[in-house]
Amino acid sequence: MGSNKTMSKGGGVIASPCAQLRATYHDCFNRWYSEKFSKGQWDKEECIAEWDKYRACLEQYLEDKHLRHALLEADSSPYFVKDGAGSSNSVNT
Amino acid sequence: MVRAYKHEHIYRHPWDRVTTAAWRKFTDPDTPNFLSHVVDVHTLQRRLDPAAGRLQATRSITVRSPPLPFILRRILGQEAVVCHCVETTVVDARDRSMEIVIRNASLRGLIEVEERSTYRPHPERPEGWTAFQQETRIRCKPLSALAAVAEKVEHRCAERFMQNSAKGREFVERICKYLEADAAASKISC
Repeated sequence: MGSNKTMSKGGGVIASPCAQLRATYHDCFNRWYSEKFSKGQWDKEECIAEWDKYRACLEQYLEDKHLRHALLEADSSPYFVKDGAGSSNSVNT
Repeated sequence: MVRAYKHEHIYRHPWDRVTTAAWRKFTDPDTPNFLSHVVDVHTLQRRLDPAAGRLQATRSITVRSPPLPFILRRILGQEAVVCHCVETTVVDARDRSMEIVIRNASLRGLIEVEERSTYRPHPERPEGWTAFQQETRIRCKPLSALAAVAEKVEHRCAERFMQNSAKGREFVERICKYLEADAAASKISC
């Protein structure tokens, strides 16, 4: 690609300390999505431990200001607020 | 000036397989070979509504721009720039719809790109086919001193964006075939 950075599995240039945690989370997510969620089993979320570790790493290592803004303004709670508002961008922490 | 593009495609695969492939498009081990403009992907946020069967996630997709016009190369001192995009996806497993919106988060002083995609079971064969629709809007921000250059940048970006969208569709198709073969193989081995 003409640069001194190489792409590992699933990409991995920015926040590269998180690359392994990302790969673990994405593998878990892809499996849960393809085997359960997309086939009708949506009542139980999985990969929560993998997600928590990956996100904690991003909070520490993600440096780009645009991405940090998107990361930090997103509500990190894994569940929709069940108030019927239907808004996906709820409380700013 | 806004350029708008629409595209439709039919995947001859069921909805669950196509949307699985769509999630994997940017994070597959083969992604660097097929979508070389994609530099990095991160999941920033995810949320599940277990009662409604709705999944929402926000991801960052970092891409390398097309080679810049000569004058911008001189101004910026580099061949291309890296652009961060934010992708928001909502999947409704009950209704079987997947809606994706990608916008660029950086370079917005220069250009605004918004791509909206949907995946739904095809009305003629809802169990076997998936209908894909995509609408892209590209707007170059007016810079009075560089108006002519801005138009060229927008045109070139639009061309490259369309090429990359086509590559993205083909790659999803390829992942679908792989998943189909995988499913068939595990049936035999049972």
